[in-house]
Amino acid sequence: MHLVVTGISHKTAPLELRERLALPCDEAARFGRRLLDAGPAAEAVVLTTCNRTEVYLFADDTLAAGRLAVERLAALAGVDPAELRAAAYQKSGDDAIAHLFRVAASLDSLVVGEAQIVAQLKDAYRAACGEGCTSTVFNKLFRHALEVGKRVRSETAIGERPVSVSSVAVDLARQVLGKLERRVVLVLGAGETSELTVRHLQAHGAGAVVVVNRTLAKAEELAARCHGRAVCLDELDAQLVAADIVISSTGSRDFVVDRARFAEIMRRRRRRPVFVIDIAVPRDFEPAVGRLEGCYLYDIDDLQGVVAANRDQRERQVAQAERIVAEELARMNEWLASLEVVPTIAQLRSAIDGIREAELERMAGPLGTLSPAQRAQVEQLTTSIVNKILHLPTVRMKELAAERDVSVYVDALRRLFDLDEVAPVPARDGDAAAGAAGAALPRTASADCALPTPAADAAPPAPPAPFVSPAQAS
Amino acid sequence: MAHVQVVFFWFAYLLYAGGFVCFAYFLFSRRELQDRLGMACVAAGWLLETMALAARWVEAGHAPVVGGYESMATLSWAIVAVYLILAWRTRVKALGLYVVPAALVFLTIAWGRYAPPAHLVPALKSDIVVIHVGMIFTALAAFLVAGGAALIYLVEDIALKRRHIGPVLGRLPSLRTLDQLVGHAVMTGLPFLSMGIAAGAIRAEKFGVEHWWRDAVVALAVIAWAIYAGFVYARLAAGWTGRRTAWLAIAGLVCLLAIRLVAVPYLSGFHVWGK
Repeated sequence: MHLVVTGISHKTAPLELRERLALPCDEAARFGRRLLDAGPAAEAVVLTTCNRTEVYLFADDTLAAGRLAVERLAALAGVDPAELRAAAYQKSGDDAIAHLFRVAASLDSLVVGEAQIVAQLKDAYRAACGEGCTSTVFNKLFRHALEVGKRVRSETAIGERPVSVSSVAVDLARQVLGKLERRVVLVLGAGETSELTVRHLQAHGAGAVVVVNRTLAKAEELAARCHGRAVCLDELDAQLVAADIVISSTGSRDFVVDRARFAEIMRRRRRRPVFVIDIAVPRDFEPAVGRLEGCYLYDIDDLQGVVAANRDQRERQVAQAERIVAEELARMNEWLASLEVVPTIAQLRSAIDGIREAELERMAGPLGTLSPAQRAQVEQLTTSIVNKILHLPTVRMKELAAERDVSVYVDALRRLFDLDEVAPVPARDGDAAAGAAGAALPRTASADCALPTPAADAAPPAPPAPFVSPAQAS
Repeated sequence: MAHVQVVFFWFAYLLYAGGFVCFAYFLFSRRELQDRLGMACVAAGWLLETMALAARWVEAGHAPVVGGYESMATLSWAIVAVYLILAWRTRVKALGLYVVPAALVFLTIAWGRYAPPAHLVPALKSDIVVIHVGMIFTALAAFLVAGGAALIYLVEDIALKRRHIGPVLGRLPSLRTLDQLVGHAVMTGLPFLSMGIAAGAIRAEKFGVEHWWRDAVVALAVIAWAIYAGFVYARLAAGWTGRRTAWLAIAGLVCLLAIRLVAVPYLSGFHVWGK
């Protein structure tokens, strides 16, 4: 069984296609459920955000599973399958795991370091759990991915500084004015960036919004959208006196406010600090206004300078984040390898033990004359021989579990001892192998999906109880 | 007892230095961890310094405020105490960048003037002297914090005015927070300074010091008091904030530091004890 991911993202598909595939979280999970019911895959998680729609599958035949996922996705969205196939990428094995970790670390995002993806991934995983689409491997994999996301954010500065003009403006306002609660925001001229900035300010608790515009109708429109109040241009001076934050973006060819006018306003304010962002081109505020005491004036270049610096700073963190992803990929592979080893050792042990019991059974006649105490001694002797023989291979296999080519040894053991053909990893619906290893492995259950899991699952699963030999136990 | 004291002092010194390194690193990395680690270092250093001072107190048999060593050590202790309280109340930890080095400087000066405990001269055997020194030190610690906040305010104000946004944004406390901190610290310090000066005047009168008002220390203290009183008036009545009050806080602090670092060692007056 292997991991495969297929889907589209902002890197491979245009917006028109992405919007059609953008499913709500619960619908995406139901889509995953239907995929599992269709057969080729054992576990499925469907992640949809505005920038990506991707299906993670755990399947024997990754190609077929991926192909089916794309076809179903196309059918669901009413898109031509050929068109979707052209835009879709498909990765399997290590590449798929690395991809998931990079997504979780927001290295694959449109804006590197953006914070939402971890929550979106968590939602997708939760929804898949709710539909019973995850089991041992995906429970481990997705929790691990969320941990990777957290680790990258806490160990690198990738998501620390804002990279949009409006959020830089908010940060700057807070740097000057402290908390923004009950701060009065004055919007001069009605532009898109102004509106965005107002929304950001409001999200940080800013109070009343006043919109001033040459045409009152436009001001009223924006005011209605921002729950503010529109005022006509004549009142500008009074509003400048009252405001704490001014966002200016008029289409005026000349300065709307010059130094002399604003000096008078500052006097009337008793030099109470005011934060002004002038995002208009050409500018609305005479630059000299910024030299007045208590007035902090920034134009679009100042803000974009910060944005550019912050973007650079994020880019510099990418290499470190990639290192974390590589490290975590190695850890995940260790776990997957140990998963392969565990059932094989269990089968080996039960096969050998089977031989021991069969031989004892065969000698039942001659042994029948023994007293119960002697009989017990024979049992003990034979068991001990089996344990001694199996001890070294068991230890070695566990050591090898960390190596990349462990499957060679697993395969050799299977052939040499003619172990039954059993899937190395328990499948979702719990076949025989799942029974063998199941004692120690988390099974699909809603309780299993409980997030977060501090340190749980951190170590590879312990071997099931039956083959802990006395020698190992000591 | 002297050994214990020395060991405690050295460890306090190292912890303060460690705290300062953490704060400085925090300024660049902006990780919560360094910030908390810095606070933990400073708090632990302060506890050790408290124990060292207690040891000195026991050894000398009087409050450790006599002579250069004791008074400087006590002053650094008081600064850190005020800082810890303010950092805990207002969560403005960046102040540590200024306050902790100040405490380190005073500790270093204290070490340079180490002397075994002196016997109290008769003039100092008085409860009112303990009150006088206690009040003055508390005021000084508060004004040092105010001056530090004012200094950071001015630096940040200039950076923001000149649009050097990157180095400031998200690293230093907001201008408003610093401004409020300056105001609170000065208004806390002024009553203590008033009471300290009053206590000193009463003691001088009682002890019969002639022309005590002509002493350089007294003169500077009165000038500082006037500056801080002006600060409070300007802030409450005239609505001054920001740069102007920050400059006042710094001016007052310069006067006070001149007392400690210039007037007492170099302009000999009647305030020189334990030499």
